[in-house]
Order: sequence, then C-alpha cells, then structure tokens
Amino acid sequence: MRIDRTSKRGHQHASPVRVIRRPRSAFAAVAGLLVIGVGVAGLYSAGNTGRPATPLGRAPLAASPRGHWAVAPQATARVVPRPIGLVIPAIGVRTKLIRLGRTASGSLQVPANVAVAGWYIGSPRPGGTGSAVIAGHIDSVSGPGVFFRLRELRPGDLVYVERSHGPLAVFRVTAVHTFRKSKFPTAAVYGPVPSAQLRLITCGGTFDPATGHYLSNVVVFAVLQ
Amino acid sequence: MKPASWAVRVVTSVALATLAAFGLTAAQVAVEAPVALASNPVGYIRLAHFSPNTPAVDVYLYSFGNPSAQLVLHHVSYGTVSPFEPVSAGEYTVAMRDAGAAPGSKPVLSTAVSIAAGHAYTVAGVGPAAGIRLEVISDELTTPPGKALVRIIQASMQQDVVTVTVGGHELVTNLKFANATPFIAVAPGTWSVKATGSTESVTATIALAAGTIHTIVVLDEPGKLALDNLLDAAGSNVAPAGGPQAGFGGTAPRPGATLVPWAAATIAGLAISVSGTVMLMRRRRPALHAHRPH
Repeated sequence: MRIDRTSKRGHQHASPVRVIRRPRSAFAAVAGLLVIGVGVAGLYSAGNTGRPATPLGRAPLAASPRGHWAVAPQATARVVPRPIGLVIPAIGVRTKLIRLGRTASGSLQVPANVAVAGWYIGSPRPGGTGSAVIAGHIDSVSGPGVFFRLRELRPGDLVYVERSHGPLAVFRVTAVHTFRKSKFPTAAVYGPVPSAQLRLITCGGTFDPATGHYLSNVVVFAVLQ
Repeated sequence: MKPASWAVRVVTSVALATLAAFGLTAAQVAVEAPVALASNPVGYIRLAHFSPNTPAVDVYLYSFGNPSAQLVLHHVSYGTVSPFEPVSAGEYTVAMRDAGAAPGSKPVLSTAVSIAAGHAYTVAGVGPAAGIRLEVISDELTTPPGKALVRIIQASMQQDVVTVTVGGHELVTNLKFANATPFIAVAPGTWSVKATGSTESVTATIALAAGTIHTIVVLDEPGKLALDNLLDAAGSNVAPAGGPQAGFGGTAPRPGATLVPWAAATIAGLAISVSGTVMLMRRRRPALHAHRPH
C-alpha cells in the first residue's frame, strides 16, 4: 500500500512537466475556454431583456387601498363616478388615471408620461356595466414604465380603481394574453359586455428598433369582484 | 482515464452553457408568439318579473340535472330585473315559486334554457297573473359601428297597446302587452323616449351611447305608465384602430442579429477547447503507461 502511494505521488509530481512539454495543446484548451466565456457573456448581454428573468415573487408590492367595494351595477342604467386612480398590489402599481382619447390615426392615445396610466374616455367607466379600458406604457427609451410588470399578473390578482366618489371598483383578473398588433382582438377588448369588466393594455413581445414600436400588446382581462 | 473524464466534464458543461445561452434567446423569441384568446366558455343570464298583477316570487336557477340551485333571487317583485350572472355554457332550468315557499316545493312555473358561451339571455315572467309564463328572451352583445341598440319590452297591462317614439321617430307602433321588439339600431345621442297608450303616456330622457345596448321596459305604476332604461351591455363608443403603441423599447432586448457573432464565438471556442483537450489526452497516455512498471 505504501508503495502504491509513493508511485502515485511521483505521478503527480511528473504531470506539470508533461503539460509544459505540450504547450500548444494546453494553450488551445485554455484559450478555447476563454473564447467560450466571451461568447457566452456576449450572448447573455445581447439577449438580456433588462426585465426580471423570473417573477419577483407574489408578495404584494403596493398596499391595497382601504374602503368599501362597489357591488355589481344595477340593471337600470345610471351615472357611474369618474375613475381617478389605479392600484395593483401584486405588481406594485399605484398611479393616478388621466383621460385618454384617440390619436389622429384613430389608435388609442397613450399617456405622455410613462409613469402614469390613463382611462379611455370612449369606454365605459370602471365599475359600471361594460368593458372599461385602461392603458399605460411598458417602458420609456431608458427604463420601465407604469405597466412594466403587467404581464406578470395572474388570474385571481386584484385591481383597484379609485373613483371621484363612491366605493372602490375592485376587479379580479381572469386572463392575461399577448397579442400580435396585427391580430389585436378589437371586439374582445372594446366590444360590449353585459357586466362590469376591465381591460388593462400595454406593449410587449419583440421591440422593432426600425419602427420604434413593440410588435405585440399585453392585455389583462378582469371582472368586477 | 482521469484526464479523459475531466475533459468529458468540461466539454459537457461548456455545451450545456452554450445550450442555456441559446435557450435564453429562444425563450425570449417565444414570448412574441401569438396567443389565441381562449374561447370564453361563459354565457350570461338574468331574471326578471314583468307580470303586473303577480305578487313577488322567488326565482331559482338550476344547472340541468342538479337539484341544488346555483342562484336564488328572493322576493322578486314586478318590474325587478337582476344583473346579468355569468354562468358556464350549458343547459339550465329556471323555476318560479311564491315568495317564501319552501325550496323543495313544486314550482309555480319552470322553463328550460340553453346558454351558449358568449351569449346573454333574459328569462322573464310575463303576461297576466292568470296566464303568467316564463319567456326566454335572447339578448344582443354586439352593435353596428357607431350605433346604439334599443329594444322595447311592453309590460304594461293598464295600457295594453303602446306606441314608442325615440327623438320623435316611431320605434314601434301598437306593441301589445307581454311582447318585445327586436333590437333596433339607433343613432347615438340623448333622446326623448315617449311611450303612448290609449289613455296614458310617459316621456323619459335617455342617453344612448354608441356601442351600448339598451332594453326599455314599459311598466305600470299606480295610475300611470313608467319607463325603465336597462343598460344590457356596453363597450367603447368608438373602437380605436389596432393595438396602442405603449412602449419605447428601453427595456427591450437588443436586435436578434447581434446574437450571431457571439454564438459563433461560443461555437469556435468550443471547437478550439475540445481539440486542444483531445490532443492533450492523446499525448498523456504513453506517459501514464511508462510509469506503470514502478
């Protein structure tokens, strides 16, 4: 046994000498690893979205607003209060709501400030019968916008709309979808519905630097809780 | 054999790292793939009492074949309309009992209703108490672009025939008690809606926005007529064109083309490293044998 150990030790002492004897192969092996390292680092940084690779956890990131919750609207038509604020605890959204119309080309206007969301004045008011529409930016030219994390919402998450008066309109997320802009589901987003519902819209998918626009929209569907 | 297994491990881990790098990119591309809007298996039903001389009732909704009620509305009196209730598409039974009657008692009336996904239905008790029936009325959930839809339900027994005008234009002439018109497309606006019977009339100012659907019910009130403006469904008055441009790309990945040189570098590095390692292993073997005799 002792003899074996001695021989092994001798073997270990000898190995560095052999490596030096074949410097080109060793250099290739090490240099190749370095090139791989550079390549993988490049792939990672070029492929890096700047968005969290995994959801940042499901703990509430904004406190839920306090107050009474609105009940389902009566069958008889009546005036619904104006929406003034939006809180989505699951993704840390807390913003005032501005009023949005349409652009000259007929598309939905978006807020000039990427940090606030807006309610489309052509849609029903949140909490009344119908599909209310709220839009916000995913990002600016340099960083996240108010709806940066909209796509992380999951069915069951709550969305609170604060109104000029009266109780909070509280919605429960039922679905989150990404649609190519060429296949935007206009009827499902803007069409009539017989109950109080909400649509939250932002951009998503691939960004096209040639046009300066994203190729898809993220749409969250929610119903009055 | 040790150097060989070491080399295998290095090559394997480098290959995995490369695959992971590509996988990351592939996952980001996948985000863009179009997602079909899952067909919504939900339909809507609401319950109404339009029989003027029938006392309040309890209305039960059963999923077909299930003896326990899915929804019970207590003490529904004449003129009451419930909000729409979302339910799974399928077969249902609506039963009407006298207010306060035992849930297991024989219903005064019942009817079957088939609910299709994406459609809405009103189940109403109509007619005089002596001949009350449960009617299934189909509702509408789309409007022509830029229009409102309006329908009249005639639930007045005192004025058993009425004519209804919207903004001075006749919507329906001589509509009989316990009948309804189909939906009629109307230009949006705030209109004076007038129902005229043989001895009574009633006028209401009603806002009809584009993209909204209304049912106007003509009702008896003691000694006079009344109008109830139901908002059946509402959408945007104008649907904006396409999806909004709600991003400037500050958090977007850089263009896919820049990935190519990095991928090439990774593959080249893999090739150099593997060939170097293989050559090293080849030259080590004789040296190992040389030590064996010791």
